[in-house]
Amino acid sequence: MGEGDVQVLLPPFHSVSLRTFHLTMDQLQLRELEARCIQEEQPFCTAACPIHVDVRAFMTALAKGDVREARKILDRTMPFPEILGRICDQPCRPFCKRGEIGDPLAIGRLEQFCVRTTQTVVKLPKLPAKGGKVAVLGAGLSGMTAALDLGRKGRPNTLITSSPAIGGSLHQVAESILPKEVFVQAEATLTGYGVTIQTGTMLDRQAVASLLDKYDAVYCDWDGFDASLLPFALGAPDPLTLALERDGCFGGGGVETGEPFSVMHQVENGRRAALSLERHLQQVSLTAQREKEGACATRMYTVTKDFAPAAEMLPADAEAGYTGEEATQEAARCIRCECMECVKQCVYLQEYKEYPKTLIRKIYNNQAIVQGTRNANKLITACSLCNQCTVICPHDFPVAEVCRSTRVEMVETGHMPPSPHDFALEDMQFSLGEFCALSHHQPGTESSTYLFYPGCQLAGSAPESVKRTYGFLTAHLQGGVGLMLGCCGIPAHWAGRTALFAETMATFKAEVHRLGQPTVITACSSCLSIFKECAPELTTTSLWEVLDTLPLPQGHSRPIQPLTLHDPCTAREQQDLRASVRSLCTKLGIAVVEHDYSGELADCCGYGGLMQFADKPLGRKAVRHKAGRSDLDGLAYCAMCRDNLAAHGRPVAHLLDYLFPGTDREPLARSNPGFSQRHENRARLKNDLLAEFRPEESVSRPAHTDTRLLISRELEDLLNSRLILAEDLQKVIHHAENTGNYLFNPANGRRLAKYRPVRVTYWVEYESTDEGYLVHNGYSHRMQLPEDSK
Amino acid sequence: MSTFSFLEATAWHCVGCNQPLQPTKMQVTYLNSAFDVELMACSSCGFTLVPESLAVGKMLEVEQLLEDK
Repeated sequence: MGEGDVQVLLPPFHSVSLRTFHLTMDQLQLRELEARCIQEEQPFCTAACPIHVDVRAFMTALAKGDVREARKILDRTMPFPEILGRICDQPCRPFCKRGEIGDPLAIGRLEQFCVRTTQTVVKLPKLPAKGGKVAVLGAGLSGMTAALDLGRKGRPNTLITSSPAIGGSLHQVAESILPKEVFVQAEATLTGYGVTIQTGTMLDRQAVASLLDKYDAVYCDWDGFDASLLPFALGAPDPLTLALERDGCFGGGGVETGEPFSVMHQVENGRRAALSLERHLQQVSLTAQREKEGACATRMYTVTKDFAPAAEMLPADAEAGYTGEEATQEAARCIRCECMECVKQCVYLQEYKEYPKTLIRKIYNNQAIVQGTRNANKLITACSLCNQCTVICPHDFPVAEVCRSTRVEMVETGHMPPSPHDFALEDMQFSLGEFCALSHHQPGTESSTYLFYPGCQLAGSAPESVKRTYGFLTAHLQGGVGLMLGCCGIPAHWAGRTALFAETMATFKAEVHRLGQPTVITACSSCLSIFKECAPELTTTSLWEVLDTLPLPQGHSRPIQPLTLHDPCTAREQQDLRASVRSLCTKLGIAVVEHDYSGELADCCGYGGLMQFADKPLGRKAVRHKAGRSDLDGLAYCAMCRDNLAAHGRPVAHLLDYLFPGTDREPLARSNPGFSQRHENRARLKNDLLAEFRPEESVSRPAHTDTRLLISRELEDLLNSRLILAEDLQKVIHHAENTGNYLFNPANGRRLAKYRPVRVTYWVEYESTDEGYLVHNGYSHRMQLPEDSK
Repeated sequence: MSTFSFLEATAWHCVGCNQPLQPTKMQVTYLNSAFDVELMACSSCGFTLVPESLAVGKMLEVEQLLEDK
């Protein structure tokens, strides 16, 4: 079987669903969302630089010792690197984030090192000549820049000065800093881009007036040109366009009397003027979209606390400047400002190598695919929807919301792959089905003031805790405490199954109504979060808040060692719940050691959003990441967190283990029950409770569940990772033994059988023994064989 | 369309028909796509063997691929 050999039997989904095809996000929403992620904002230095030199990339190149690459960066942005690189007055320096942790980078000195040790590497292209008669009066750095930029834009122009040479006040700079040959090089550059240089030109009022008449557009550089020669009254130039009173006349540069002289300001003015002249000649808006020109603000967000402070590298010989090694060391101090705050904490974003802006674009593109492979499906289904990134993000980027709503759309358009969520949804249906679900008033009562809702995972993980907790609640709360076993439906919500979730929620609400609208007490923070969101009309609270108001249970215990507390991701917004958990710990005498990623910043254990089913290796990474937040043994109060953490070798107890300890186990040593045992536990819990309280209602389970299996611990782990339940194996063997339909290996006496209950074919290799069926292997596939469709 | 062969000698016998498995051409399907393959099957009842290596290997790979189409 190969990718290219797919024979399409029916029209593919997309061609039939074109009519209903819609995008959750339109282009506008995409842009709005993209704009919330600031990772691609300019770093502080680039934003503060009047001509936006990519200082970060410059530093990166120098830190690698790649001076040629660094020079390329200067060549691309600076008009005359051989001049500007030597005298840049570094207006970016006060904005350098390194300043918070040591000294800001010595950008000026590094630029000097770069231009001193390299020749021009990049020569920017010259656009085809477009005509228009342009003059630049005054040949200071600003005039030179305007002339060069216009030349590059295909506007041949004349640079006119009364001075004997171009450069204006640059000639006042000591030759040791700015050698004479840089002016020769600048002249050659200008000429190369079609600039005609007229030095020593007599400029009086009459000459200037006639020049203004002769040219379509003129830029006056106050450095080298006397403004009083202009034949019109001069006000301040428009700050955005540098336009003067007369149409087509622009002015700027100069030496900024009364202010510190800035060559970068001169260059910025020249560049700004060149764009204004170009727009004037094109007769388009002079003012549109010019906000990012010149030094500007940036929304970049960079946290510096994780970097070690480092002082500026001073050259051994201050006059000679940096040596190569010194420059490399100084540039290496650059922390390469970026945000990435969410990515630093999230294994999902790290795994898929995305930050929210790139992630959302991939999702958008994936959803726009009409025919072809949807490469981002896994990206969409793997997110834990835990919202940690949104809490961390300075602009609350809603990754989870985007992923979940995209899942809804995938389901609605028939593009949701079956394998990521099938297992979890079937697990949910099992919890909601006749063998597990239950809802009753407290035995001996006809009404309920409260309703204990332990949730499917606690019932699956620790059924004895459920019984003991329920017993305690009925003994201490007045007015009757009903009990409901089931599932809140959050797996369907996470999987984007809107209809299934709505149905589950409606059934739940109807049951609560039938029981007389009692206060629902949930042991699971996921259930509580979903009830608060989707059933706000109900009164709901957490078990922890209730227990915190009651006396401590008799026989409670505590660990001898301090434990770190692992908040679940779904308690992120439940501050009162978290406070009650801590209060209970204090009362129990548990020494809780908080780590940095608890509370609002809690990590997901891998179950959230059904991550561990959609991307199994990532689910394992997520729980390892959560466990790794502390070296201590842990305490959890979410059954799923506890079991996932325990499955990955971290001793973790559940808070109920100390509130209602059993005699049979050490809380920290309890292993993960696995999916099969979870099923069994839920079904047994219902049976036990019915046997105790309502023997007349007992439910008998299907015949295949009597099939006795012998499975090694090792195989159990394998089956668990393959999402194969013991009950699936029972179905296969039951079917095989009743139909006689199986394979047999005479060499070892083993049998190999298969059965496809719905969408998955399960295979079991086993042998019959006196104690039961000894299982040797189990695997599954979704592909259908011809016999499956018979 | 070419046929992909996954034949390998096998000790498994069909119990119902008391026969060894034989190389058999057939079409397997998933999500509206079909492939011609050759697998070991019982020539009487059609019971087809999908070995573990195929189920968790190539077959899984193709299933995942088709799910993203």
